[in-house]
Amino acid sequence: MASARAVFQGTLLALTATLKNAFRKPNTVRYPKQKRTLPGQWRAGSFALTIDPATGEENCIGCRLCEYICPSEIIAVTLRKGEARKNGIGATYCDVFTLDYQACMQCELCIQVCPTDAIVMTRALAPVATTRDGLFLSKERLMANGRELVAEPALTSQATGTKLREWTDAARGLPPAEPKTEGGA
Amino acid sequence: MSAPIEVVEREFGELALNMGPQHPSTHGVLRLILHLSGETVVKADPSIGYLHRGVEKLSEHLAYDQLAPVYERDDYLAPTANSHAYCLAVEALGKIEVPPRGRWMRAFVAEWQRVSSHLVWLGTLGLDLGGALGGGTTLYMHCFREREKILDLLEELTGTRYHTNMNMIGGCRYDLDGAMAAKSVALSAEIARALPELHALAGDTGIFRERTEGVGVITKDLALSLGVTGPTLRASGFPTDIRTAAPYDAYPELRFEIPVRQAGDALARYQVRMDEIAISLRLVDAIVEGLPPGPLFSRKPIKNPKATKLPAGETYVAVESPRGELGFHLVSDGTAKPLRLKINAPSFANLQAVPHLLPGGLVADVVAILGSLDPVMGDVDR
Amino acid sequence: MTGWLGALVLSATVLLVAMTIVAYLTWIERKVAARFQNRIGPYQVGVPHGWLQPLADVLKLIVKEDITPRSADPLLFNLAPVMVVAPALIGFAFIPLAPGLAVVDHPYSYLFFTAFASLTLLGIFAAGWSSNNKYALLSALRMVAMVASYEIPLLLTLLVPAVFAGSFRLTDVVEAQRGLWFIAAPVVGQVAFLVFLVCALAEGNKVPLDLIEAESELIAAYNVEYSGIKFALFYAGEYAHTLAICALAATVFLGGYLGPAFLPGVVWLLLKILVLFLGVLWIRWSLLRVRIDQALRLNWMVLLPIALVNLLAAAWWVARS
Repeated sequence: MASARAVFQGTLLALTATLKNAFRKPNTVRYPKQKRTLPGQWRAGSFALTIDPATGEENCIGCRLCEYICPSEIIAVTLRKGEARKNGIGATYCDVFTLDYQACMQCELCIQVCPTDAIVMTRALAPVATTRDGLFLSKERLMANGRELVAEPALTSQATGTKLREWTDAARGLPPAEPKTEGGA
Repeated sequence: MSAPIEVVEREFGELALNMGPQHPSTHGVLRLILHLSGETVVKADPSIGYLHRGVEKLSEHLAYDQLAPVYERDDYLAPTANSHAYCLAVEALGKIEVPPRGRWMRAFVAEWQRVSSHLVWLGTLGLDLGGALGGGTTLYMHCFREREKILDLLEELTGTRYHTNMNMIGGCRYDLDGAMAAKSVALSAEIARALPELHALAGDTGIFRERTEGVGVITKDLALSLGVTGPTLRASGFPTDIRTAAPYDAYPELRFEIPVRQAGDALARYQVRMDEIAISLRLVDAIVEGLPPGPLFSRKPIKNPKATKLPAGETYVAVESPRGELGFHLVSDGTAKPLRLKINAPSFANLQAVPHLLPGGLVADVVAILGSLDPVMGDVDR
Repeated sequence: MTGWLGALVLSATVLLVAMTIVAYLTWIERKVAARFQNRIGPYQVGVPHGWLQPLADVLKLIVKEDITPRSADPLLFNLAPVMVVAPALIGFAFIPLAPGLAVVDHPYSYLFFTAFASLTLLGIFAAGWSSNNKYALLSALRMVAMVASYEIPLLLTLLVPAVFAGSFRLTDVVEAQRGLWFIAAPVVGQVAFLVFLVCALAEGNKVPLDLIEAESELIAAYNVEYSGIKFALFYAGEYAHTLAICALAATVFLGGYLGPAFLPGVVWLLLKILVLFLGVLWIRWSLLRVRIDQALRLNWMVLLPIALVNLLAAAWWVARS
């Protein structure tokens, strides 16, 4: 058992530690009057379907890769064939695009596989709703978020599909490969 | 017609107390049926399963590439350890090489999450021992103040605070640049400076020693027969750490000590974990310093998850999570989905010590013992 | 006529002021505890410092549903909160506020105060038993074992100022401190004060000796089945009891209303009570909780012998001088 002296000294130690802390500046951030800046790669925000600023077209080509990769199976996409795109990437669009945010676990896998950076996360706080339907992001809401991103590009999370694939490129950081000699052995 | 209420007291003459699933100190939803004689515990029956989410069954329906984020919800205090073990298991079975930088980044996040998990453990131990209206809360607030800084670092690195989804099969996703590396080094120095204050509020207090010394002793025989792992095992005198016994990722190249204590009581477990915090802070600095250049990921970009097929076979790979040996036993039948995936959870084995440790102690010792074992019910129930 | 009317007015005033102080003690506790933890505490209700928070808490508790469990003993269950609050409030009647001014100035007011202060024990035991809940019962068991044991050194140390003053009237005890506060009496006073402090922590159920309402083990223990206004009475009763003990300590050890003349005596008394309360808060929010067997061992092996020897030393000192 601890001796009385140890208890006494320990008690004094705890008391001094607490007293020292009483005179330090508090760590509280007085939300909502004070807000903190969200980091560049914020993943707990909402989703947006981006719009190409040059052509004004939506970027989603309806390839359904995000639907296939989502572990929570919350994305539903249907493909629609339309007229040829202005940026030359085929002629497909998405007809229906729904994302049930209730079950989203913010794993960013859908962002990672999107070939056109169509789906991105926004650097805003997660959507708040009072009904379940409010968390069911339809294509209209996603496109509205996308239009907000055109107006304010800083709201886009830094981790877009292109960036994620760039960071996980298997040749990143390696010296460039030796050029093969013609008719090599 | 409702089912008859089970009357536990019929088999025992004194008081049967249900320290039920909803209790401030059972570290999650754990039901302990305590048979008390006055204030002394005579028998303790733990009842688990309240947080069972069927993760292992879910694993049979999702493809390998989709599964890595799912396991982070098991041991929710050190989430990356789960996906780490999973990725190592899949890579072992599929003979997938991970580039050195990817391996070192995995160890980086793993060590920061070890510090974060031990800070939660210490804070909640303070709450258990000191009460929500007393000195325990002060310890809890200080631990979580330090932890918030770690979570902010991880948030800047990955985008979320602790379900970082850092690991993918074949490497990891996020990289450390110069500014982030400097932040990490500064943070580890800051937390190392705050550690004496945490000691002053916890282990150096005479009252803490009185509450934990000689309480919940796990003898060497009991430890071996139950299969406890992690700091619980190291506090009973066995210098076993998966990071040195079966090294993975960056650990073969890193030098670090393994804290061991002989007493096996709650105080020894406290000392082992506090030492581990200090060691992990030094490890993080060593990782930042020795981070090799190169890519993070070694496979082609993921497209259709059903395209990733693993050869048939089985494997078992374990990592050292803050709670002990977290292992994934993976059985594959050659398709894109696992045939069976069994998670060897450290908290499950550690919790089995409860019926052996609680009898003979007082009610106050129950919370001290549970706190020192550090179970996470998400890990126990999966 | 003015006799009983004056007494009525005085007692009503003291009661109102005491209850307001009790309400604002909760505010002080939350702000000070927050500072110890690098936080701010309440700041929204009654910007900027949250000084309307006690009002919000009381209103919330009053409008909550008042549940009486079907299997609880109705008489004791409903009487217990009153049994906890009333003795603490009665204690305020004995505290001298100014020379010759106390609601009750009785030759044995000191003894009455200590007698009423220990009635809280009965209230908590009634609550623990009548709730028909095992957690409450455990707390009642602990209470009987622990608080009753801690009463003995408490009373022994409280006898020391009476021995110094030679009287059991609280006004006499204060007046006897005109030359020297009893806490400053060499060794005897300090030892008496320290032992009193530890026993007061046990009486008031404060960490490190708050076993009977150990939140992490017994959740809310004796008031686990209470809600609404009855819980508010328990909550207020705890603070009222603390206030009463601090007031007693300020009166018998720190000189009560005595102080330099630039402030009225009552203000000095309140300041001393505040200092003592802050000391209790400081101890409460820094230390962890002891176990019941350690608490009992502390009492019987350490505090009781010290208190006995101290009392004898005080008596010897008074007889000598």
